[in-house]
Amino acid sequence: MALLRMVFREIWLNLRGRRSSLLVTLLMVSLSFVVFDVFLLVTWNLGSMLERERESIGMEAFLEEGLSPQAARSMGDVVAGMEQVRSVYYVSPREAEAIFRSQFPRREEMLDLLSSEYRLPASLQITPAESGRSPAAMEELARTVAGMEGVVDVVYGEEYLSDLSDTVSALARLDLFAGLMLVVSISLVVANTVRLSVSRRSLTVQIMSISGAPGWFVRTPYLVEGLMSGLAGSALGLALVALASQMLQGTLGHRFLPLPWSLLVVGLGGIVGLAGSWLGLRAALPGLGRAGPVRGGRIR
Amino acid sequence: MLVSMDGVSYRYRTWPALEDVTMGLAEGEFLVISGPSGAGKTTLLRLMWMDILPDTGALEVAGFRADGITRRELPLLRRKLGIVFQDFRLLPDRTVYDNVALPLQVAGTAPRMIRRRVFELLAEMGLSHRRISYPHELSGGEQQRIAIARAMVSHPQIILADEPTGNLDPGVSRMIVDLLMDINRGGTAVVMATHDPRQIPEGTARMLFLDRGRLSDPGFWPGMGS
Repeated sequence: MALLRMVFREIWLNLRGRRSSLLVTLLMVSLSFVVFDVFLLVTWNLGSMLERERESIGMEAFLEEGLSPQAARSMGDVVAGMEQVRSVYYVSPREAEAIFRSQFPRREEMLDLLSSEYRLPASLQITPAESGRSPAAMEELARTVAGMEGVVDVVYGEEYLSDLSDTVSALARLDLFAGLMLVVSISLVVANTVRLSVSRRSLTVQIMSISGAPGWFVRTPYLVEGLMSGLAGSALGLALVALASQMLQGTLGHRFLPLPWSLLVVGLGGIVGLAGSWLGLRAALPGLGRAGPVRGGRIR
Repeated sequence: MLVSMDGVSYRYRTWPALEDVTMGLAEGEFLVISGPSGAGKTTLLRLMWMDILPDTGALEVAGFRADGITRRELPLLRRKLGIVFQDFRLLPDRTVYDNVALPLQVAGTAPRMIRRRVFELLAEMGLSHRRISYPHELSGGEQQRIAIARAMVSHPQIILADEPTGNLDPGVSRMIVDLLMDINRGGTAVVMATHDPRQIPEGTARMLFLDRGRLSDPGFWPGMGS
């Protein structure tokens, strides 16, 4: 307990009087996280949009003219029995016309211009099951249904879905890249801060070492410094993005990152800060990183 | 033997700092290592607190062998030693009390025990009134006495003093030597490196002479004024 209290005291002594260098580190970590958070926010919103679209997306199979309603319904039963299909609804030519008139009231005259013998084709409205909503599964289902006798054409938003999916994948890759850049840049910033910190307190490190302080005791204040820089920097970056998101809410409809994601971002900041301080310590106190018998060279 | 060196050599890159040194330190002994600047006195002391390890030869200090010591054991060895430097090396951001208490604090000693031991030592050194002062508020002699108190606080088996009087005037130097001799009379072994052995009264210590990394027994005691 006394040792733990002493560690806290060393952490305080280490941070005291270094406000400007800590502030610079905090600012650099925050700004890096702002860039990362913006990428993440855009990806997450597009991803959510893709999910919503996938949930609402359907497929329509247009049937041959003259196919009897009984034949069309039995065909619908066959499609409904497929693994990738949740439900099938038969739309008769009359119902199709009613739907057209209700959805496009200004274009009703188009139907009136056609001869009385012309009827909109009957169709099967197919709702895919959860497992059948990926672009690949939708494409496979469309191919199967299109190959059935009595089906003239199958339509669904394949291009739109595929484009949206590609955009989200590209953004996810960009996020990963931005994340990697973030890890490297923040680690280097924190490592440099810790190196300067150790150099400034080299006398303290030396005296602790010759006084019999264990290695972890000497290292802990610097590791805590990195951890705190990472946590505080990522939290500040997230807060700035949240503020900007709130201000843009009226003009750019979107949702902010959910709490678990926000906590993950702050956690990532802590981990990166810790890794940075570990790197800095290895550079400033090379002996402390190793364990085992000491052979030659200087021990710190 | 508290310290045992057998055929120890150490090089800084290509420059041989110590060559084939064989020596020992018995419990309760006062050993003076003398020699000109650059003779290897500091290197010899650094080997004793295992800041560096020998390139060749066998070294054992307070039961720890240099060829087998691990990083975990190093703090345990250092807790058996008290080290005093020429330039005091007190921590400027801590009070006298905290400087003296440091070795006990890093070893996890209970605060009540630390307080009792530090007060006791400061009283012995006649520096109780300075316990809340900072190092820059003290004279050179006071700073060195505080450094000695820090070295003594955890009841070490050996005090390693590297030119402890190098930065002090003759009067204060005499006081520091007397203090080290008092400590030795209490049973603690002392190794003192100095370029001026005349400060130590004849017959009170064993003297070894280092010259260009080689150790020799001078066979005489350089008396005061000689």
